[in-house]
Amino acid sequence: MFKLNLKIILRSIWKNKISSFINVIGLAIGLAACLMLLIYVMYEWNFDKQSKDSANVHVVMTNVLDDKGKIFVTFNGSTTAFAPLIKREIPEVQYISRMDYGNMGLIANGINGFKKKSKFAESDILKMYDYHFISGDPKTALTDPRSVILTESTAKTLFGTTDVLNKTVKYQEKENLKITGVIQDLPENSSNRFDYLMPWSFYEIIDEGAKDLNWSNYSFITLVSLRPDANLDLVNKKIDELVKRNNKQISQPNFLFPLSKMHLYGKFEEGKSVGGDIEQIWLFTALAIGILLIACINFMNMATAKSEKRAKEVGIKKTIGANRRSLIVQFLAESMVLTLISVIIAIVLIESFIPVFNNLLNIEMSIPYFNSYIWLGLLSVVLLTGLIAGSYPAFYLSSFNPTQSLKRNVEGKGFFSFSLRKVLVIGQFCFTIILIISTLVIYKQIQFIKNKPVGFDVNALVEMPQDGQLIEKFELLKTRLLKSGAVTTMYQSSVNLSHHGSNFTGLEWQGMPQPENKVMFNRVGTTYDYISTNGIKLISGRDFNKKYASDSSAVMVSASAVKVMGLKKPVGEIIKMFDANFTIIGVFDDYIWDSPYQSNSPMVVYFNKVGTGAITMRLNASNNLQQNIETITSITKEINPSYPVEIKFMNSIYAEKLTKEKTLGILSNLFGGLAIFISCLGLFGLISYSAEQRTKEFGIRKVLGASVASLMQLLSLSFIKMILIATVLAAPIAYYIMIKWLDNFEFHTTIPWWIIVLSAVGTIAISLLTVSYKAYRTAKSNPINALKYE
Amino acid sequence: MIELKNIEKYYANKGVKSYILRHVTTSIKQGEFVSIMGPSGAGKSTLLNILGMLEEPTYGQYEFMGEDVVSLNERKRIELYRNHIGFVFQAYHLIDEMTVAENIEAPLLYKKVPGSERRSRIADMLDRFNMVAKSDLFPNQLSGGQQQLVGIARALVAQPSIILADEPTGNLQSAQALQIMELFKKLNEEEGITIVQVTHSEVNAAYGSRILHLLDGVIKEDVTVSQTV
Ligand SMILES: Nc1ncnc2c1ncn2[C@@H]1O[C@H](COP(=O)(O)OP(=O)(O)O)[C@@H](O)[C@H]1O
Ligand SMILES: [Mg+2]
Repeated sequence: MFKLNLKIILRSIWKNKISSFINVIGLAIGLAACLMLLIYVMYEWNFDKQSKDSANVHVVMTNVLDDKGKIFVTFNGSTTAFAPLIKREIPEVQYISRMDYGNMGLIANGINGFKKKSKFAESDILKMYDYHFISGDPKTALTDPRSVILTESTAKTLFGTTDVLNKTVKYQEKENLKITGVIQDLPENSSNRFDYLMPWSFYEIIDEGAKDLNWSNYSFITLVSLRPDANLDLVNKKIDELVKRNNKQISQPNFLFPLSKMHLYGKFEEGKSVGGDIEQIWLFTALAIGILLIACINFMNMATAKSEKRAKEVGIKKTIGANRRSLIVQFLAESMVLTLISVIIAIVLIESFIPVFNNLLNIEMSIPYFNSYIWLGLLSVVLLTGLIAGSYPAFYLSSFNPTQSLKRNVEGKGFFSFSLRKVLVIGQFCFTIILIISTLVIYKQIQFIKNKPVGFDVNALVEMPQDGQLIEKFELLKTRLLKSGAVTTMYQSSVNLSHHGSNFTGLEWQGMPQPENKVMFNRVGTTYDYISTNGIKLISGRDFNKKYASDSSAVMVSASAVKVMGLKKPVGEIIKMFDANFTIIGVFDDYIWDSPYQSNSPMVVYFNKVGTGAITMRLNASNNLQQNIETITSITKEINPSYPVEIKFMNSIYAEKLTKEKTLGILSNLFGGLAIFISCLGLFGLISYSAEQRTKEFGIRKVLGASVASLMQLLSLSFIKMILIATVLAAPIAYYIMIKWLDNFEFHTTIPWWIIVLSAVGTIAISLLTVSYKAYRTAKSNPINALKYE
Repeated sequence: MIELKNIEKYYANKGVKSYILRHVTTSIKQGEFVSIMGPSGAGKSTLLNILGMLEEPTYGQYEFMGEDVVSLNERKRIELYRNHIGFVFQAYHLIDEMTVAENIEAPLLYKKVPGSERRSRIADMLDRFNMVAKSDLFPNQLSGGQQQLVGIARALVAQPSIILADEPTGNLQSAQALQIMELFKKLNEEEGITIVQVTHSEVNAAYGSRILHLLDGVIKEDVTVSQTV
């Protein structure tokens, strides 16, 4: 029975090629899109959850209070004194490790040097993370201060092999470290990634800040692993008391927050987690389900549309002795087989498109074939889709009385199914139009930010990190580069032109409204040629100049800084920071240096010879770009041979600021496109079916003298009406969602009426095209062909 | 074999009852060959469907082989139906996706007849109707007469005690119709299968042993045919 059924199912799938194709391809694309998104969601969801005990690992957070005692910022930094105290006093703490944030540091095998991500940590980190050691002993790997653990790919880059235990590498040109372990590469979705790991004890040797046990420098991360039975609230209460007792002057309370939640719930307001990237995860999950639903709707619509034919089949089978159960089983099996075929095609689709997807999103995902959840998920998708799609004929049609179904009396009863079909099509197109409108708005917002002037000319401007010899030999570099003609002007500064952080509050000026300043200012330390190189607009005063010896204590401030300080005549005023006085010699226009979506903090640029970190250069426009870069590279390499030369273009740095929104744009573009494709596929299926059904009617009408146009209208009008209704429903929903989205940005575009009209007209045009192709073919066909068969 | 008492069938439409069958009382004995005649809309198909348990009467008593059909539950009724009744339709009603052999096999599957027996019975049927060469064809590859033969083979394969045929020759040319009628007569006489057919043709009715004349849902005449053909 089963074998025969299967044979007949496959045969009827083959016979109804168009509708099977629409069902299978639509569902396969829908499934592929859905699974792809879900794999991405899983990737994000599994952030920092790979190690066995990840649930017990917490990161130490710090709340920063304002003068009224209100928490205004929460961040994951902590001090050096915190960890030893907690380890001693709180029994629930099982392991604890201080770490730095990680840096790009030079690591070399002989003269073979690479800049790779370094990390310093205490040896407990090896107990919190179950790194897979290819060689070396995790118990002793971080014991000796001058030891280092390499990841597999770092070892391969440096030595060409992972068989490197006890060999020596040179760190930052100075220190020789013995390799005590090689571990498998860390997963991409981990917050504490590194290419090589060094002991904290070594950090204490080379860094004053790490060695000094204090409660004031929050430049470190502390990971704490609690015993599995520990109560987090209780531990946090103990920490609060302990810290307050030991740290009288400062009132920033610390608390533990699960590391596995940092990535998705890392947005804090008043010391409480209020979400974060998890919102994006929900968005993508909704998108995934939406796309799958659209495909399922096609499936269901085709099934209901064919119900008349199926009803006859039900009637026949019942008259030869079928009972209801056997019919239900048959219909469900049929839709399951179709779903199964779709799943197989979907997996093929994912396999072929996942590299593109990874490229787009700049991540590293793959189908986790060995994850049982994926298979369970797939199985439930097959069962659920098959059930939903097959349920209409299975449960509704099978209940008919055989003589009714044979007399084709279903149409009267089919009223419900027909209006349900309408509702489903409207829902489908509603979702599609919302996606299209969103895509257009996101695109417009990106365009808006892109076209917003950043405040200086980003073209022909490049920067590179000030590493190694470039700090001491900056003047030599500058002389040589200027002489070479590749660069017209350049400067060094404490941070890059575009940077994040470097904020402070300790600023004083004449006529402050309050004794203590609470406004965050941003600071940049630099020497000569700052303005002349980057081309930021000077509003009044001048740039630092060698002619004035007094410029060693001079400062330039941004226009918004002048506004915050309320200075009438800023040039010549004296401000105080870090217990030193600076004279304002210039005021420059605000430019975008952090987020392009909101106004950045007021800025002070002060003269500071030791403010090193980044070198910014304006290229000579009269030379060939490639030539300029080659010249800079060779001169820099000559002066600073151990480090690779990393020149970055300012325009790409600024373009990168839009990455996240661009990704969103790409995704909504892609899935919006897929949604409209699948919806139109479904529409095509419905109209083909309806055309097939009405072939005879059309034939008669034509014989009676109906025109092709009137027949087309007859066939497509009801479909077009549905799309119109969908547009009317979708527009306000999309408008509301996108207004909320735009509200996230201080600088945002508007939603003009034409976006709504464009999406509506576009959708209607595409669906009209879909519908009229079939309608035209049907209307044009020879009436005799239609009437020949009874 | 069949006892009908006071069968009524009506459809209520906006409170108005439109009667299709009224006070139908009759009995059909094992081995009879009955033809139901009457103008279009008289209720012939409805009566046949009620006999075949495809429809339920609004009122009245129906006994089939001693069982009260009206009070039987769904499962028992299907059981009774599968074992004793074979239906033949004017529009053949074959399943388009199935081959000739598969169409004939279908009722046996529902009856859960074991595979080896199924094969021998199908072979039997194909043989008997001279369709061995056509067993792998699909219904739309056959002529109307051939399709109706498949329809009859399908009704016969489950070895029913009664065949109900609703205008079985209505779509056929007279030569093919003749063949079908001869077949019915042979089945009736040689195998003792009870046959009830609806027909418009006096010629066809003459093959039977008895004619029920139906007019506006009422049996007007019940005549025995003198075997002159
Ligand atoms: N579901 C129904 N609702 C209302 N009237 C019906 C229904 N089914 C059949 N009829 C009516 O019952 C009458 C008898 O039908 P039928 O038994 O098919 O007649 P016959 O087979 O003798 O031509 C017809 O007039 C038909 O219109
Ligand atoms: Mg009839």
